[in-house]
Amino acid sequence: MMKLLVLAVVVSMGAVGFAAEPPPGATTCSGCHGPSFMPVNGRASADLSSGMEAFRSGERPSTVMGRLMKGFSPAEIQAIAVWIAEQK
Amino acid sequence: MARVLINIPKEARKGEVIEIKVLISHPMESGQRRTDSGQVIPRKIINKFVCTWNGDEVLSVDLFPAIAANPFLSFFAVADVSGTISMTWVDDDGATQTELASITVT
Amino acid sequence: MLGRRSVLAMPFLARAAFAQAAARVLVIGGGFGGASAARALRRTDPNVDVTLVESSPVFTSCPFSNEVIVGLREIGQQRFGYQGITAAGIHMVQGTAVSVDPPTRRVTLNDGSVLGYDRLILSPGIDIAYDALPGYSEAAAEVLPHAWKAGDQTLLLRRQLEAMPDGGSVVISAPANPFRCPPGPYERASLIAYYLKTNKPKSKLLLLDAKDTFSKQKLFMSAWAKLYPGLLEWVSLSDGGKVVRVDASTRSFETEFGSHKADVGNVIPPQRAGRIAVVAGVTDKTGWCPIDPVSFESRLVPGIHVIGDAAVAGAMPKSAFAANAQAKACALAVVRMLGGAAPVEPRLVNTCYSLVAPDYGISVAGVYRPVNGLLTDIEGAGGTSPIDAPPETRALEAEYANAWFKTLTSDVFA
Ligand SMILES: Cc1cc2nc3c(=O)[nH]c(=O)nc-3n(C[C@H](O)[C@H](O)[C@H](O)COP(=O)(O)OP(=O)(O)OC[C@H]3O[C@@H](n4cnc5c(N)ncnc54)[C@H](O)[C@@H]3O)c2cc1C
Ligand code: HEC
Repeated sequence: MMKLLVLAVVVSMGAVGFAAEPPPGATTCSGCHGPSFMPVNGRASADLSSGMEAFRSGERPSTVMGRLMKGFSPAEIQAIAVWIAEQK
Repeated sequence: MARVLINIPKEARKGEVIEIKVLISHPMESGQRRTDSGQVIPRKIINKFVCTWNGDEVLSVDLFPAIAANPFLSFFAVADVSGTISMTWVDDDGATQTELASITVT
Repeated sequence: MLGRRSVLAMPFLARAAFAQAAARVLVIGGGFGGASAARALRRTDPNVDVTLVESSPVFTSCPFSNEVIVGLREIGQQRFGYQGITAAGIHMVQGTAVSVDPPTRRVTLNDGSVLGYDRLILSPGIDIAYDALPGYSEAAAEVLPHAWKAGDQTLLLRRQLEAMPDGGSVVISAPANPFRCPPGPYERASLIAYYLKTNKPKSKLLLLDAKDTFSKQKLFMSAWAKLYPGLLEWVSLSDGGKVVRVDASTRSFETEFGSHKADVGNVIPPQRAGRIAVVAGVTDKTGWCPIDPVSFESRLVPGIHVIGDAAVAGAMPKSAFAANAQAKACALAVVRMLGGAAPVEPRLVNTCYSLVAPDYGISVAGVYRPVNGLLTDIEGAGGTSPIDAPPETRALEAEYANAWFKTLTSDVFA
């Protein structure tokens, strides 16, 4: 019985292809970024994380990104970058 | 001296209950707060308010540090005789401020 | 034992695999919070059966409605239909929810139909608390509009401003905290001042306030001194600015210490959570809804989540941006909880743009996490635009404000 249950789970995963769960904060980007404004989805995660880090440190000047990125640690930024890179 | 707002009717009928509203601009520094460098900000509050009507006391209150900045007081009095309503605020540093309003009772 | 643990590790899948019927999530209110939540639920788990109940066939956005009031935009640009929502596989029900029965998990609509749910998300926005301001009523609002729910009220205030002769006096009253869109009254005052300066320069604008401090205050006040000197006067609480009564028949605003007669009067009244939240029993004595900041589940009634303006979201302001961010976090939590798993601590973000003039934008931002049961500002993050920024930066932020509106409304409604 136990084995059967696990099998069902695997089949269901294959059938619907759930996306990875977004890390904390990752869903807030789409409040500003979208097809009509500086799209970020699908961009290389290394570019995204280095851009976000540069905003966070102030190395890259910004109106608002610096203020937002200061609320995230480097590891959190990295996780968000990886997830955003996978979004369409 | 601190800016004061007063709302007292200019006229009233004898026996009418009138509302007196006063607001004084004052930081009411509690003495509990500290500066960024850790020093205690000295207490400086209005500690007393007295209202008289032709010299007779209408209200006398002691104020305490927990009262918010710009204390606003509202109270009632029975209009008795025409004359002068006097309001006095007393600061921790000893300074006092008195404002007068005249009222005609008919 | 082992099997159970492996199921818990994959909460999304657990429910999909075991439940016969799809889990039903009912969302009430198709505004920024509710419509975002419905979409985020579908995106997170396409197997969840999502129904969105909304009274109005078309949504009218409050953000950027201040621009409509002064003729910088048209109301049509504020309106969004629900075709995109339907296309996303959400059941759209036009109707008003009138009662909620938590024990049986059922909601009744105004037409008598009944909808069941496994989890309910409420995003009803605000109601005007007419009883909290003597003299104000629905009838009085036809003379002294609030324009704090966009639509006819927005257009009424616009017509009144257009009809006012040069040299007239406009009075706006702003409420005590909390209320929808903390910088909103000050953006509105700014844009009305802009309109008057451009079209009716002999007029005056008086802003009577029940507060001594407000959102982006330094930025607004330095901009007013520069752009609208002598035209816009702000009267704080300590200056006797609190309005205690209004009189529509004379268009007057009574404060503790005086009375002000207006040619055009705009009452931004006290507010509370939308009525259905009261009916559902999720409001407390403040009139707003206390929630768990991880799942947005009501602290008063299990199975009901509250997002957007109606919720007590700690340091987060009542904004469309916040409602959208909360909706997405809440959707993730709801899907996890349907799968029997614990929700994960969210990280939330807010940004509110305001226009002080069409090419002069300012913003305030915040990043939040749950601390001791309340959404709390992360120190060192967020804050306002710099006070000494050059005009190019203000122009850029005005542009970004417009871009934000476009992106957010397509994220929610397209
Ligand atoms: C003038 C003004 C300017 C603003 N500017 C900005 C801005 O620039 N940026 C920003 O982020 N925010 C802004 N806001 C704030 C923003 O409008 C709100 O914070 C946002 O709308 C909150 O979303 P919500 O989902 O809680 O409520 P709403 O968006 O109001 O949605 C609630 C919906 O629920 C429906 N509803 C209610 N009860 C029921 C029921 N019983 N049955 C069915 N349907 C129901 C209503 O019809 C409504 O469509 C502004 C607000 C104002 C007034
Ligand atoms: C409040 C709106 C807002 C939010 C929310 C936001 N951004 Fe931005 N983003 C901007 C703006 C505006 C810029 C341009 C730089 C500036 O002035 O801040 C920008 C720039 C960027 C850039 C550089 C784009 C380029 O093409 O050079 C990246 C990358 C980026 N953001 C990623 C993110 C990610 C990832 C998130 C979510 C964690 C996010 N942003 C959330 C507004 C936002």
